[in-house]
Amino acid sequence: MRRVFAMMPLLLIGTMPPAAVGAPLAHRETLPNGVRLLVAPRPAIPIVVVRAYVRAGSVFDSADAPGVANLTAELLTRGTAVRTGPELDRAIEFVGGGLEADAGRDGTSVTLAILRKDLDLGLDLLAEVLLRPTFPEDELRRKVAEIEAGLRRSEENPEIVGSRALARLLYPGHPYAQPVSGTVESVGKLTRAQVVEFHRARYRPDATVIAVVGDVTADEVRQSLGRRFSGWSAPPGLQPSVPMAPSSPPVVSERIARDLTQATVFLGRPGIRQDHPDYFALLVANYILGGGSASRLYTRVREDAGLAYYVGSSLAPGRYGASYTVSLQTRVDGVTEAVRLVKDQLARMGRGTLEERELELAKAYLIGSFPLRLDTSGKVAEMLTAIEEYGLGLDYPDHFKAQVAKVTRADVERVAAIYMDPATFSSVIVGK
Amino acid sequence: MPPHSIAAACPALALAVLTATALASAAPDVAETTLDNGLKVLVLEDHRSPVVSVQMWYRVGSRNELPGATGLAHFLEHMMFKGTPAHGKGEFSRLVEQNGGQDNAFTTQDVTSYYANLAADKIELALSLEADRMRNLLLEPKEIDSERQVVMEERRTRTEDDPDGLLSEEMNSLAFKAHPYRWPVIGWMEDIRRINPGELRAFYDAYYRPNNAILAVVGDVAAADVIARARRLFGSIPRGPEPPAVAAIEPPQIDERRVFVKKVGAQLPIVHVSWHVPNFQSEDAPALDLLSTILSEGRASRLYRKLTYERRLALSAGGDYSYFSLNPNLFWLYATPLPGQTPEALERALLGEIELVKNEPIPAEEIERAKNQIQASFVWRQDSVHSRAASLARFELLGSWRLAEKYLPAVLAVTAADLTRVARAHFPAERKNVAVLVPAESSPPATSPSPTTR
Repeated sequence: MRRVFAMMPLLLIGTMPPAAVGAPLAHRETLPNGVRLLVAPRPAIPIVVVRAYVRAGSVFDSADAPGVANLTAELLTRGTAVRTGPELDRAIEFVGGGLEADAGRDGTSVTLAILRKDLDLGLDLLAEVLLRPTFPEDELRRKVAEIEAGLRRSEENPEIVGSRALARLLYPGHPYAQPVSGTVESVGKLTRAQVVEFHRARYRPDATVIAVVGDVTADEVRQSLGRRFSGWSAPPGLQPSVPMAPSSPPVVSERIARDLTQATVFLGRPGIRQDHPDYFALLVANYILGGGSASRLYTRVREDAGLAYYVGSSLAPGRYGASYTVSLQTRVDGVTEAVRLVKDQLARMGRGTLEERELELAKAYLIGSFPLRLDTSGKVAEMLTAIEEYGLGLDYPDHFKAQVAKVTRADVERVAAIYMDPATFSSVIVGK
Repeated sequence: MPPHSIAAACPALALAVLTATALASAAPDVAETTLDNGLKVLVLEDHRSPVVSVQMWYRVGSRNELPGATGLAHFLEHMMFKGTPAHGKGEFSRLVEQNGGQDNAFTTQDVTSYYANLAADKIELALSLEADRMRNLLLEPKEIDSERQVVMEERRTRTEDDPDGLLSEEMNSLAFKAHPYRWPVIGWMEDIRRINPGELRAFYDAYYRPNNAILAVVGDVAAADVIARARRLFGSIPRGPEPPAVAAIEPPQIDERRVFVKKVGAQLPIVHVSWHVPNFQSEDAPALDLLSTILSEGRASRLYRKLTYERRLALSAGGDYSYFSLNPNLFWLYATPLPGQTPEALERALLGEIELVKNEPIPAEEIERAKNQIQASFVWRQDSVHSRAASLARFELLGSWRLAEKYLPAVLAVTAADLTRVARAHFPAERKNVAVLVPAESSPPATSPSPTTR
């Protein structure tokens, strides 16, 4: 076996001296063909999770064919040069494993979950579905019918309906405005040629990260993955560039009529990505506003007013844009009051109302709960691919803790005044 | 994640039920003790990460309720976060979060479970909070009324506005006549609206006692230390009277039962079919569990392969069997037709699969696959301290955490003849329950965006 990797030093961009430096999360190497490989041994339990992340999300769908990235991902496991779809199903399930492809906005992940003793089989299957899918026409028709029916059924779900509408408002003219799955109008028109071309152009080694977590060593992974992936080469040409989402889309209110006993409410505006200097301050501010069960929104809207079972806020960064969203569900006659309470809380965040104990709680939680974000092999694999894809560095746990610790009261109030200004939020209400 | 969720015995949880079985068959080193007041304490050391899962499981669920006061167990679960004299409203979760932890709870037909996952060196906090709220809840009328509104919102989200939730509720009340599995875990809306502080207090006093609880702790801790802490923090809580047993026994079903639910806003029909079946106490249970896996676990399973893939009848199809149910429960199949297919055709197809199991031996490969899937799920369950603690408690609820050691060998011993036998014994065509959700005729829910730029 030829040596295909150059071992790289693992301590990346250490921008600050953290108080206590932990070991890096994983070994990192780059294959000659550009595949970035991350290995995190967790030897106590004989299981392995392999997550391959390819920069091939719906953001690369052409405007006239939304849904291609998702259809391509769905069809990866429906037939390869070696096995038919049902044969793939039987092979992986016979060993009690799982092999699932999932398209997102920025990327598509293929996740293998398998017992250690069956790892060779699992890696064969993973390499097959990534490199040699055949996209049989009859499988495509089947999958299109399923996606169409799923889209129709999702109209029953006010959270999906509302979040799709919000994406249209927040990302006008940008691919993020389109649902990952495409639309009822677009999916039926997709062709095998479009899928084949999408796979050829987008599934490339220099756009791929593979994270391996579990009962393995870096040496054996280097061998077993190198054998299967070293023949993979990138097509000519560069990866396409995608424009950033608009930074200040018009503020719009939309109502979507549904005959339901509750209304689902979304308030949203552009957010920021992990590389923005305000990111950690906004994380802390968000936790105080609507992050946990001690948050202002939870306390006022749920505990005091009894207006909602769910109310919360979240920051969703993507590669090409980010959103900041508050959402809740309330009874039909509670909407006006709930929205008023939320807007009031948004406004108060930037007005010098911050209490020291709120700040300390938020920072203590964000720092202290970090280990719980890494408490299963699947979560570690997901974290590793995100760290690599968004350039966060393998010392991210230390970096994260240090950055959160540095956030001051003034930081929180400053970012809240910008990103929590109620006048900047568009809204979607799904209900009567 | 908002605290408080419901896990009813419903199809959506098929996977959870299956994986919940998973604890290594190789007996782990569980330290087990029963305090003088009856509290069962189980501790498993797991030093892979510096975290611990602390879980308190009370042997009370909706099966312990009475008509007219359904939803008490779940309502009380919500109130468990609303304060004691020592810790005010919301203080439990606030303290856990302040210490970098996450906490939540869920209620089922059989059990109410509370957990905190946090850094292992904060275990004292998690244990002392559980000890405090075991007997010291305030249950203030003002807080009860405010939380009542929250529970009603929860019911609207999960049931009124969710076709699957609605149909599952209808199936339970169709299939059960006498047993409390008849009503939904969250309770009927009118009961939630009416339940008074006295009833909550009486329910709390009856069931929240050390002798009715299981404390399961898994993580980066020393077992002896945890047990010593448990003794110190819980030891002085007096044993309570034994809670009343659930006396109701579901009478044999004598004929087919069927319900149609018309639902405005639903886009596609849903079909549920179920039969009354025995639980873990029966020798047939491992075969029923294996059969449920053969029918519905994964894309190679019979229902997906035949109904969704080959015949293109179903958008989705699956099943559920509650091996862990404290009283006999349902073996459940469900499916949603693809547009253009009828619920009648889908029902025939589901029943056809049951007849096939009765009449033709299941090939060895399918049996082997299902056994491997169940076995693998046991191993995966060890991946997190949370799932390990939940598994210990779940088996303990049935009598002993050691039952986990017997479960896997029993499933692996099931033969093709066993599968045929249990299918014939438990799935009589004339005693099935069928629930069908039909999208109601109404004006289509046209999206009427009225963009008004402010």
